[in-house]
Order: sequence, then structure tokens, then C-alpha cells
Amino acid sequence: MAAPAGPRPGWSRRAQYSLFFGFLAAVAGLIVGLIMLVLSLVAPASYASVRGAALDVTAPVTGALSEVSATASGLVSGAGNYWDAASQNAKLKRERAELRRQLIRAQAISQENRQLKAALGLREHSRAAVAAGRIVGSSFESPRRFAVLSVGGNDGVAVGMPVRTADGLVGRVVDAGRIASRVLLVSDRANIVPARILRGGTPVISTGRGDGTVDIRPLEVGRNPFKRGDIIVTSGTGGLYPPLVPIARVIRLDDDGALGLPIADPSQASFAIVEHPFEPEALAAAGRQDQR
Amino acid sequence: MVRSALQTRGRLNRGPRPGVTLIPAASVVAASALALLPVVTQQAVFPDSAFLMLIAWRLLRADAWPAWWAAPLGFVNDLLTGMPIGLSVTLWTAIMLVMDLVDRRTLWRDYWIEWALAAVLILMAETAEWKVAAWSGAPVPFIQVLPTVLISILAFPIFAFLASRLDRWRLGQ
Repeated sequence: MAAPAGPRPGWSRRAQYSLFFGFLAAVAGLIVGLIMLVLSLVAPASYASVRGAALDVTAPVTGALSEVSATASGLVSGAGNYWDAASQNAKLKRERAELRRQLIRAQAISQENRQLKAALGLREHSRAAVAAGRIVGSSFESPRRFAVLSVGGNDGVAVGMPVRTADGLVGRVVDAGRIASRVLLVSDRANIVPARILRGGTPVISTGRGDGTVDIRPLEVGRNPFKRGDIIVTSGTGGLYPPLVPIARVIRLDDDGALGLPIADPSQASFAIVEHPFEPEALAAAGRQDQR
Repeated sequence: MVRSALQTRGRLNRGPRPGVTLIPAASVVAASALALLPVVTQQAVFPDSAFLMLIAWRLLRADAWPAWWAAPLGFVNDLLTGMPIGLSVTLWTAIMLVMDLVDRRTLWRDYWIEWALAAVLILMAETAEWKVAAWSGAPVPFIQVLPTVLISILAFPIFAFLASRLDRWRLGQ
């Protein structure tokens, strides 16, 4: 096949002009695009309202589609659960008995903890949730790791708030529309979480790797403090994320750190909870420094 | 009997569809809207469908839309996919201008050359996206982008097929 005829308008002066002005318009579009790109790199907050509005328009579509797919997959997994209900029932009963014993122990510890804290005069932070929403979509076509959450400014969600599920930390809000918001996941390369190892409390830093895992490095150089299966929890340093929220489980060690798998899987979690920043002044700081 | 012979049936009297000039652009917007599918994943190996649709159209026809339409189309894509605003605007318009140059330089084109050209464009686009992600604070190693590049290159024929079928349909051929 010969190459397409392309922009060769022949002798018509009108066609030649329209092609030429089309070319000028394309160059102008390129320049405008470059300016917009530089602006969104240098001052991402300047697009907050546009991005929020786009989220508000698109998130309901994603939400409705996600209802459909959840129903379909629920039918399949629901049928699967009936398959071996008897043995599952026995197993669950055993687990429940074990969990009840653990719960009583945990309640005793919690009560003791409260008494000790009261004795020390420690300030208690309110951990009331701002809003709870469903994770309906994600940025599956881009190298960044974002998720779309079905709650927004109308529910009190603001940029910089931490998001978690019952299992662990999901990330933090980077765009907030009126009825939807975008969350920077823990596994994004730009999400750096101050953390510590639950066993022993060694301070570490967790950074996303962009491929669904997190990179965990100790703050102090020296012996590798990790073991496979270690749970990494937030430390509360920096004031954004509340302390003691599980982030990841160590799955592999490397020379001076470890590789972790996030505990809260946004594709499995049915609800995500938006919380206030641990220290309120961190919200303003995160809004200023927030980069995407 | 005579009347039935006069009926327009089959291949007679088939002209362009209404809105023939908007269909290519509409198909690119529709491909952008694929990003609204409720796929929640931690791994990004899905191809950038709107970009593939765009280059499929541009490789098929030079006059699918005026070159500057790429800017507003890119803006819509940025809004729908949540990319940094301006990335697709710049990238897509630049691709249009590059393709104008390529059209002037190539005398002969067959399917393999188009695929190779698409592969080069995909690599350029993914590199740009990777670089912008790095500038905005997420410097992932380039090796993580390669699976996406490969999958996009392999997915290009699907979009080329879609574009050519849509083109035939919209022109009523």
C-alpha cells in the first residue's frame, strides 16, 4: 500500500490555508499543553478544582459498573461458599472460639493500656472516621498507583487525609471532588510512609515500588532487621498517618532492606475509611508539598 | 416485482454516515473512557487504550481529524484517566506533528512498517509518561514500564483493526 496521501491539498488556496492554520493551531496546542504540563508538575494544586470536577463526573460511572461486577463475582463466590459449607462451618467455629479467647485477652490489655496512659497523662487523639466509601476504580493504565474512592468533599473528605481499610493502610487523598476522591496508594512510588516493625519497633521507611509491592528500609544503617513475615505498621511520625496501622507484610529480604506486600488490598476491601490526619497541622503541610 | 427491483438493497446508495467527521474523535474519547472501568489493580500492565486508538487512526488516515484536535482530545483523556493535566495534550499533539513529518518521508507503507512505527510511537509515549511520573515524585525503574510497552505493542493490531472497521462503517463502504 502506498503511504496515505497526507496533507497535500492541491492547488486550492482555501485548502492550503486551512491546512496551514491547522498546523499553526496544532503548534499552539502543543505550546499550551507544555504550559499546562509544567503547571501541573510545579503547582499541582492549581488544577484541584478541575480534577475534582472530572472525578465527580466520572466516578459515578465507575461506581455503577463496579456494582455490576461485584454482583456478578458475588454470585460466583457465593455459589463456591455453599460447596463445602459443612467443613467450613466446623473450621469457622474453631476459629471463633480461638478469637474469643484472644479478644478477652486484648480487652484486658487495652484496659490496662488506657489506665497506664491516663496515669502518664498522654493526650489521646480522636480517631473518628471522616467518611467511609467504596474503592471503585484505579489508574490501571498508568505507571502511577491511584484509586478512586466513592466519597468526596460533601462527606468532609479533603486533600491529604489518610485512608485505611479494616485491614490496614490504603494511602492518602490527593484529589477531592464533591462526591468522589482520588487516593495515592501505599504502593505508589511517591508515597513514603514513616513506619516501624511491629516486632521490636525498629523505625523503618516504607516506599511504594509502583508494582504492587513496597520497599522497606531501616532508618539506621547496619544489620538488616527484617525477617520474613514481619508486619510493618505506621509509626505516626510526620503527623499524617495515625500510628499502629498495618502497612505491609515482609515477603523477601534484600541486602539492606526488604520487600513488602501491602496488607490492605484495595481490590478486595469492600470499604475504605477516610480519617483525619493524625496531627491536624500535617494536613496543610501535605497539601503544600503534595506532588503527583 | 418491479417495485422490489427498485428497492435500494445491499450495496446501492450507501453514503457516509451522519457525523462522519466526528466518529474518529468520538472513538478516541470512548477509548479514554475505558479508564472508567472498575478495575482495581496494583499492577499497571494495561495498555493506554486511548493512545493506541489515536495512533491507529492517525496511521490509517492523515485526515481523520485536523492535527490540532489532538490537543482537546488529550485534555479529555487527561481528565478521564487522571494523568497529570497537559501530558496527553502535549504528547498527542507532538505525535500528530511527528506523523506529518513521517508521512512526508515515507513513500511506501505496509502493515509491518505501520506496526513498527506504532511500536516506536508507543515506546516514545511510555517513556514520556515515565519521565513525567519521575518528575512528579514517582521515579520507578524503567524496567517496570517495559511490560506495558510490550503489551501495548501487541495490542496495537486490535486497535488498528477497530479503526479500519470503524472507518469503513463511517464512510459507508
